[in-house]
Amino acid sequence: MTVAITAGVLVAGAVYLFLKREMLRVILGFVLLGHAGNMILMAAGGTSRRAEPFGTPEEPATVADPLPQAFVLTAIVIAFSITIFMLVLSATGTENDDTTDGANDPANGPTDSADGTSQPRPARHGARTEEHP
Amino acid sequence: MPLLLAAVLLGVAVGFAPGTTAEQYLPWMPTLDVGFALRLDGLSLLFSLLVLVIGAGVLAYSARYLGTSGNHGSFYLLMTAFAAAMLLLVLADNLVVLFVAWEATTLCSFFLIARSGPKAREPAIRTLLVTAAGGLSLLAALAVIVVGTGTTGLSEALASPIWQESAGFSIAVAALLAGAAFTKSAQFPFQSWLPDSMVAITPVSAYLHAAAMVKAGIYLLLRFSPVLAGETVWMVLLISAGLTTALFGAIAALRRTDLKELLAYSTMSQLGLLVAMIGIGTPAALTTAVVHTVAHALFKSALFMLIGVIDKRAGTRDIRELAGLRLRMPVTATVLGLAAASMAGIPLLLGFVSKELMFAAFLETPGPGWVPVLVTALGAATAVLTFAYSGRIVLGAFSGRNGNTVREASAPFYSVPALGAIAGLAPGIAPFVLDGLVSDAASATAGEAVQAELVLWHGLNPALAISAVVLSVGTMLVLARRRVDTVLAPVRFPFSGLAIVDALRSVVVRFGATVGELAGSRAPRYHLAVPMICVSAIALIAVFTVDSLPPIVGSPAEPLDWTLVALVLVGVVAAVRAQTRIAAIVVIGVVGFAMTLWYFVLGAADVALTQLLVEILTVCVMVLLLRRLPARFGKQPLRNRIPAGIIAIGAGLATAAGVWALTGRREMSEAASFFVREGETATGGSNIVNTILVDFRAMDTLGELTVLGVAGIAVAALLHSRHPTAVRSAHLDRGTPLADARANSVFVRTTTRLLGPVIVALSLLLLLRGHYEPGGGFIAALIGGAGFTLLYLAAPTDSAARVRWPYLTLIGAGIVISAGTGYLGYLEGSFLTPLHVEILGIKLTSALLFDIGVYSSVIGIVLAAFNLLGRRHRILHDDDQPPASKEVSYR
Amino acid sequence: MIGSLLALLVAVPLVAAGVLMMTGHRPRLHATVLLTILIGSTGSSALLVYAFADGGAVAHGVGSWPFGIAIPFAADMFAALMLTVTGLLAVTCVVFAIASRKASARFFAPLMLVLLAGVNGVLLTADLFNLFVFIEVMLLPSYGLFVLAAQGKAALRQIAGARLYVTLNLLTSTIFLAGVGFIYGTAGTVNLAELAAAAKADDTVAIAVLVCLFALGIKASIVPVHGWLARTYPATSPAITALFSGLHTKVAIYAIYRIYAVVFDGDTRWLWIGVLIFSATMIIGVFGAVGAGTTRSILAFHMVSQIGYILLGVALFTEAGLTAGIFYLLHHMIVKASLFLSTGAIEVRYGTGTIGQLSGIAKREPVIAVAFFIAALSLAGLPPFSGFVAKLSLIIASVDAGQIAAAVVMLLVSLITLLSMLKIWSGVFWGKDEVADGGQLGTAPVLTATREKTQRVGALLAAPAVLLAAITVGFGLGAELLLSLSQTAAAGLADPTAYIEAVINS
Repeated sequence: MTVAITAGVLVAGAVYLFLKREMLRVILGFVLLGHAGNMILMAAGGTSRRAEPFGTPEEPATVADPLPQAFVLTAIVIAFSITIFMLVLSATGTENDDTTDGANDPANGPTDSADGTSQPRPARHGARTEEHP
Repeated sequence: MPLLLAAVLLGVAVGFAPGTTAEQYLPWMPTLDVGFALRLDGLSLLFSLLVLVIGAGVLAYSARYLGTSGNHGSFYLLMTAFAAAMLLLVLADNLVVLFVAWEATTLCSFFLIARSGPKAREPAIRTLLVTAAGGLSLLAALAVIVVGTGTTGLSEALASPIWQESAGFSIAVAALLAGAAFTKSAQFPFQSWLPDSMVAITPVSAYLHAAAMVKAGIYLLLRFSPVLAGETVWMVLLISAGLTTALFGAIAALRRTDLKELLAYSTMSQLGLLVAMIGIGTPAALTTAVVHTVAHALFKSALFMLIGVIDKRAGTRDIRELAGLRLRMPVTATVLGLAAASMAGIPLLLGFVSKELMFAAFLETPGPGWVPVLVTALGAATAVLTFAYSGRIVLGAFSGRNGNTVREASAPFYSVPALGAIAGLAPGIAPFVLDGLVSDAASATAGEAVQAELVLWHGLNPALAISAVVLSVGTMLVLARRRVDTVLAPVRFPFSGLAIVDALRSVVVRFGATVGELAGSRAPRYHLAVPMICVSAIALIAVFTVDSLPPIVGSPAEPLDWTLVALVLVGVVAAVRAQTRIAAIVVIGVVGFAMTLWYFVLGAADVALTQLLVEILTVCVMVLLLRRLPARFGKQPLRNRIPAGIIAIGAGLATAAGVWALTGRREMSEAASFFVREGETATGGSNIVNTILVDFRAMDTLGELTVLGVAGIAVAALLHSRHPTAVRSAHLDRGTPLADARANSVFVRTTTRLLGPVIVALSLLLLLRGHYEPGGGFIAALIGGAGFTLLYLAAPTDSAARVRWPYLTLIGAGIVISAGTGYLGYLEGSFLTPLHVEILGIKLTSALLFDIGVYSSVIGIVLAAFNLLGRRHRILHDDDQPPASKEVSYR
Repeated sequence: MIGSLLALLVAVPLVAAGVLMMTGHRPRLHATVLLTILIGSTGSSALLVYAFADGGAVAHGVGSWPFGIAIPFAADMFAALMLTVTGLLAVTCVVFAIASRKASARFFAPLMLVLLAGVNGVLLTADLFNLFVFIEVMLLPSYGLFVLAAQGKAALRQIAGARLYVTLNLLTSTIFLAGVGFIYGTAGTVNLAELAAAAKADDTVAIAVLVCLFALGIKASIVPVHGWLARTYPATSPAITALFSGLHTKVAIYAIYRIYAVVFDGDTRWLWIGVLIFSATMIIGVFGAVGAGTTRSILAFHMVSQIGYILLGVALFTEAGLTAGIFYLLHHMIVKASLFLSTGAIEVRYGTGTIGQLSGIAKREPVIAVAFFIAALSLAGLPPFSGFVAKLSLIIASVDAGQIAAAVVMLLVSLITLLSMLKIWSGVFWGKDEVADGGQLGTAPVLTATREKTQRVGALLAAPAVLLAAITVGFGLGAELLLSLSQTAAAGLADPTAYIEAVINS
């Protein structure tokens, strides 16, 4: 029950966030979504058994299922890699990380053929100064 | 060369002797039960002769028409290919082969029309679309027949009993075949492509649109007559469409001033009559159809060719312009007259014979009493108009009295059409020469033996009377042709077939554009929303379809859990409401810590550690990027937030329901039991989760570390391909202690100096003990990575922070080591089998080597991320000039 | 014996990728190693096809652990066919990339090799979590390849496309992972053989597998989640588009076929949902195509439509239907890649794919024009090309299975497909020769502007498209070869006993 609620809350928050405009919020949404996925995997192993899986235990019936734990570990690491890539994507757009930038660029505009005919927009000068709160 | 081709065609034709039936079979696609089967019977013979003989004639004619200049190789190639396709069509004894040949003729005609010049391209496309649609109708018919009769062979299918047994089957096939034939033979409502395609050069029209391609539809109808002839739907469709087209075509022909267009409409009209005849379906009618096919092919191709001759000599084929010229072309005129007379149905020509038979057949149309009367009346009307426009052709060409004189064409030029026209004369006088040929063909199509007796004089009968009436009325129309012109001129048809085709095309394109728009833009928002809506839908489906759930096993929830639930809830709400980026990141970090606690509570120590470290590193990378992004988030309007909220809640409920319903309701799985009971004995390691990762399911881990490593490469590739946005910098008061980076970082640097070795040692320890205690390659490497992060945080500037290690090489080495360890496993029989070795009393396994590979890879990506992102690329203040971009070097 | 060697199809490219990462920027070495390994992989897969000519399957648990514990790698005719054709496509697209000078980018070869390892892994694995991992192994290098451009020259459009591509695929993977979790929660295993017929017996397992199938459907770009394909594929470089077209959606389709055959055991209760959705996919895809304005958008929408056709094969689930579906799948991989490669060659040389800006290409590039036209006709289903055989067998199979409406939809969609192909043909390859006519169009096309300076499409750039077009002709006239292989593969799906037994005994 508790795991189910946690997973549901995480998914709701995740979906709300990744339907936002800013790429960073989208990424944060996916971080939450990843947590939800991991919760589902842990739940699949049966959360009524919670003893650490170590050595050869006397009471196997109370030991937590180690297979989903391995799954979750793999999933965390994979999600981490993709998060890093997405973070870099958010910082290589225009001067902010608005996901609607370039969204309506016509496809098949001048392509970056070998002779480099396409001109990307370099970072603009005159960036606003910001005070970090 | 073309004459050579013509000779070849004639030679093949000679090889066909009447009265024979021959078969040939080659396997083609046995899996689909399709073989390359050919069969020659009377009908095929007739059509083959038509295709080949007229083809030879047209090719010979083309030699003269096109002249020797210019590159016409593609023309001859296409014409020969077309002839071959037509031949294949009429000889095919397999439905699929028939279809292939049908489409081949469509394609050849497309190319032949298109190569006539840039103006011919749109007509070619329109023709292709209409005939392709017909082809699809044929394909549908084919599929139905194959499934219904269980075979793809044509003769076998025709012999199947299903035609009589299943009315639905016959009706479906009848309608589909009719559709296909109508498109090919330019019948209503698909008739508009024929005049449209007159932009093609004359030899093409003479062959395709007189003798060959349009006859393909007729052939199809004839071929299926044995089984469909009595079918009401068939009859109604064919007779009504045929007569409509006949009448419409004839009226339209009478209005044309371009002789070639006139011939096109005339062809349409004559084909209409043919279709109607086939529709009637009595043996007599079918015989007539066969005879008229021959007659029409002969006179129509001759007419086209002769118009071509006139066109070449006089420079025009418009009646109005020809009226201003004086044509002195006696031979051409005579031959033209002969051909036109055959078309008009004047006695002593083959056309007359077929017309007579036609009236006789119309009078015997099966059905209620008014049907034969109506049919004959319409047929007669058409015949009258035919007479009229035949006259129009002859007089239109040759009635000019003033103007320049146009001399006769050279003999080779008119010889072929002349032959064609004369060929209409001989059988006209002595029709019985065709008896054998026609009988065989008619038998094949009627499905019963037919003995045709073609005579010139049938005695005084209604047919003759009708002919007489037709001839007289026709002559009157010809004499009164100016009056007729003025009557017909204002007649306009309310729609144009071409306009419809074009309109359909543009509607489809515009609808398509709308559909395309609906697929969303490139912004992720829409594309991410739809799957989540679908997920909620799946949950709804599940609620309704799943009847019962197994009972919950054990007690999945503990009281402590609820605190964690509350913590996560608070965290998520805060994350959603955060207004600044830094706040959002911090809150997400909190949620991550909550997850760590969850994992500890659920008995997953390794996972919890990994989660903790990953969270720390993620936050560090995010902070690195924060410098390049604005501080606050934008505000989204309510109308965007509400649907997002609804979708979010729906998805959340679906997930919660799914977890509640689909998990926790079974006993421990077999795999889990095995791992818990046997894991340590099988691998020697007591950290069961770690043994799963590096021993039992090492392939997963290999994939995982590859993903990690490649992410580093991808980041490098991305930053190579596009420079990151500029770093924003705050203007600080230079006087405060915060402003001096070196002074600012004293505490962190000292701490680092103390902690550094500890972190390294801890990292190595965790690596080595991972198999037996919580630890393992990932955790160790992440701690090591945390160490590097500390170095970065401690450094005063970005350039000082650079750790000059070759991170790409590290990633590569990691993959090589781990995968290489896998190869060692082959010594024990399989990839990634662990090896055990004892050195100096210490038990070592290859799993350790594997873990080292993991370690290297993870360090590689952490370094990649920090180096590449932390790199001083550009810092911009308001008053700065943008510096020249630096070259990036990689290790 | 063969079984334990299956893992090499993954291991060898991985190690090679690692080695190349360590060697630094050496384009020639990279290209040689890359091509050698690709050709080697394709060759060994072809040997597998030969080995399975009479059906049967081979499996082996990686690491020699017992059944149910080890991750099994299994191959049968279907897998072998997919391995061979994906390998072939990878080779041709890499040659194209080399010719368009994309492959000299520093990271191209390692990324390609990991991508190949991922594809092979997805096709060989019989464990659902491992499938998830290998899908990620396929995706990460794809992300890298997506954004690859000359230094600093990636357009904003490429970044936007990458954002969409990455986020959507991450969502899909997470949904798939959730599905795997649910499957483990209900059935207690993620091994395909252990799951055999589990979804038929137990509705909760069916729902769990449905979640996985939905995720695979997003990856295969069915309606209503088809938009991402149309928006991302045109946003990257032509070589990468051609490569992705043959790989990502197709392995997803393979997985759908395999999972439905084994875990649902061809359950006929749910097939009607499939028929409905895939018919809608066919229709919407083709309408989107006919309304699009650039060559790659048209082709991308077409992919959606054709994927509807291919998946209809599994929705019919008769042996004829499965044979037709598999044949269509293989044919489509080849033809689609050929189309992307020929239009891609034009885009690379002439700088744009917008139809309004190109014209008269046929005269300048007759070879490419012919290759395009052949592939286009094959796609539209005209004889004598492989597309015709594919359509014919699929239509007959659907009429045979009683799905008349689907057959009608297929025919109508064929016609509109032809229409949209003609749009490209007349817009790009025909059209007036502007310079000769004195240029009367409103906006000066790109072609005119760069006419004097643009070289023609060279042999190396054109060769991949031509080769694949030739193959489609070959598979049309000599369809029997591929048909019988498809039939063997289909038999293995209609009755997956051989596959399941092989995994159990591994």
